[in-house]
Amino acid sequence: MSVGGGKHWMALEGGADGSPGAGSYTSRFAAIGASLPQRRLSTDEVMASTTHRTDIELEALTGVRERRVVGAGEDSYTLALGAARDALAHADCAAADLDMLIVSSISRHVGGLRVQLEPPVNVSLKAALGAERAIGLDISNACAGMMTGVFILNDLIRQGRIRRGMVVSGEYISELGRNAAQEIRNVMDDQLASLTLGDAGAAAILERAPEGAAGIEVAGFTTLSEHSRLCVAFPATVGPGVTMHTDAREIHRVATEDAVPMLREVLDQAGLTFDEIDYLIPHQTSARAITKAMAGFSEGFGSTPKHVVITVDELGNTASTTHFVALRKYLEEGRFVPLDRVLLLSLASGLEVGIVIFKVDALVGHYGHDH
Amino acid sequence: MGTIIEATATADGGSLGALGLADAAARLCLQRAQRTAEEVDLLINAGVYNDKGISEPAVASLIQEDIGANPEQQPGTGQGTFSFDVRNGGCGLLSGIQLVDGLLASGTVKLGMVVASDIDPDPGVSEGFGFPAVGGAVLLSADDSRAGFTAFRCATFPRFAGLFQSSVAWQEDTRAGRRDHGRNVLTVQIDESYADRALECAESTVRAAAAAGVLDLGEVDVLVATASVPGFAAALAQRLGLSAARVASPSGALAGAHTAAVAVALESVRLDAGRTTLFVCVGAGITVVAALYRG
Repeated sequence: MSVGGGKHWMALEGGADGSPGAGSYTSRFAAIGASLPQRRLSTDEVMASTTHRTDIELEALTGVRERRVVGAGEDSYTLALGAARDALAHADCAAADLDMLIVSSISRHVGGLRVQLEPPVNVSLKAALGAERAIGLDISNACAGMMTGVFILNDLIRQGRIRRGMVVSGEYISELGRNAAQEIRNVMDDQLASLTLGDAGAAAILERAPEGAAGIEVAGFTTLSEHSRLCVAFPATVGPGVTMHTDAREIHRVATEDAVPMLREVLDQAGLTFDEIDYLIPHQTSARAITKAMAGFSEGFGSTPKHVVITVDELGNTASTTHFVALRKYLEEGRFVPLDRVLLLSLASGLEVGIVIFKVDALVGHYGHDH
Repeated sequence: MGTIIEATATADGGSLGALGLADAAARLCLQRAQRTAEEVDLLINAGVYNDKGISEPAVASLIQEDIGANPEQQPGTGQGTFSFDVRNGGCGLLSGIQLVDGLLASGTVKLGMVVASDIDPDPGVSEGFGFPAVGGAVLLSADDSRAGFTAFRCATFPRFAGLFQSSVAWQEDTRAGRRDHGRNVLTVQIDESYADRALECAESTVRAAAAAGVLDLGEVDVLVATASVPGFAAALAQRLGLSAARVASPSGALAGAHTAAVAVALESVRLDAGRTTLFVCVGAGITVVAALYRG
């Protein structure tokens, strides 16, 4: 039940009145980690690599100037491992303290372009980290995978079922761009979005917050599956790896429209107004799409968050990792103060709508900034 | 308060495809429980081998749309459905049940369904794929008066990771004149020693749980055990000192069922009040997930 006692469409955890359910504890982000490949690939280079001559102004269309791409020996697994280690290096706990380890990557490249279906990736990751005690779990929820992991961990920590858990993704997805570059002919091509993808790993550790401490205020998820077939990826026919086919225009349109009532539900549940959000971190698809969506949200709410985070210009769309790569970057750069309230907004193939609102609080101290 | 099974169902046969099998099992499961799709507010798919090798979206979202579980948002009118996939190999269905159990206990959701199905995505091209085409569904809700699922245990044995491997990788076409051609091929490799190691890992996980006092083998009325290999449940029962008469497992053409195996086994099990069922699932990794169910 929401604060007003009305029905809510999203599955919700937390809120101003403490409902729903048995939230005996508060859960919070203990640390955020990331792993970015060194190699940079500019949009000019991507467009110069297409098999067919096109007149697509990709940078102007999307705002993506460059992205990181894996080098020799790097893949989804190594990016996930690097991000997990980075998160642990900024946390007050060790891998052995983790009660749960959730791997949430879309891409499962282990050993170059080999897509590993079994064993689940968590098995080797647990062993490499030394997270012997952790319940291991691989999940898959498109670009909302990490946020889904946060939703699961938040629920279990709030109940006291677990004390601490990690969700981690490693996305080696620039290869989808290489496959797309072989086939794309014009701006209407359904593989255009693949050219905006970049590689990254990200990890988040969640833990039970000390009594009275701030943390995740509310988390909500729903799947608007009437749009489930707007973005689909499967093994490529033109070469190794995967191709992704997206009705980009339509998915942006429905995501922007459908997010407004969902945002309203979550804000109502938390007893917050839109302008009480200090930083909104949306899923990073294209700068233009984000700007357009924000304009729609502002119109819907009559107010705006204080800052909207955009990283897609320099990192591209890094799939399930986008929110956490951005968070890690802002923590590193000392942009947050402890009282800042952040809203993470996932809009992903499915159509998944996931929202998490939290106070940054003690996180800033783990990155060398005490403000 | 416990998480109880309201109904289970299966669907088999290759003509439907993995999505069709999952859809059919989900629909039959809802029908058996006299529930509507709109009531399902959490839908988890645990299948590994789907029709095209889809990596996104979550196959659960496709199933959600197909069965009509709140595909369109109608804020203010009730709760929608949240869908995602679990990819935990042969343990996925039980891992999915564990996740539903958590979200039911907190009250975040009221009715959860875990669905799983597998099919050879590329017959004639895939190598080593031997799982039967079958889908299963399990419908779960919270019940104040029954214990339901309890004592979940999870263990991984990474030293045996090489015994069960499956992947999709590019194979060049080596025929003359076809050098620039090739294709992505699914390869499943299960070592002949996998079945024995799976038994050992399952037994040690169950015995560790018994030693820790979280389960008593003496109270087990039924053993539901799966490892995607025929004969696993009977062999595990023998190792655990349980009567062969208490074993439930997929049989006949479905004996090697993969992610849907738990649902297939439950077709022959009565989960009545007073009866205790021990679930033990083993998959690649080696991964073991076990749980007790008190009806």
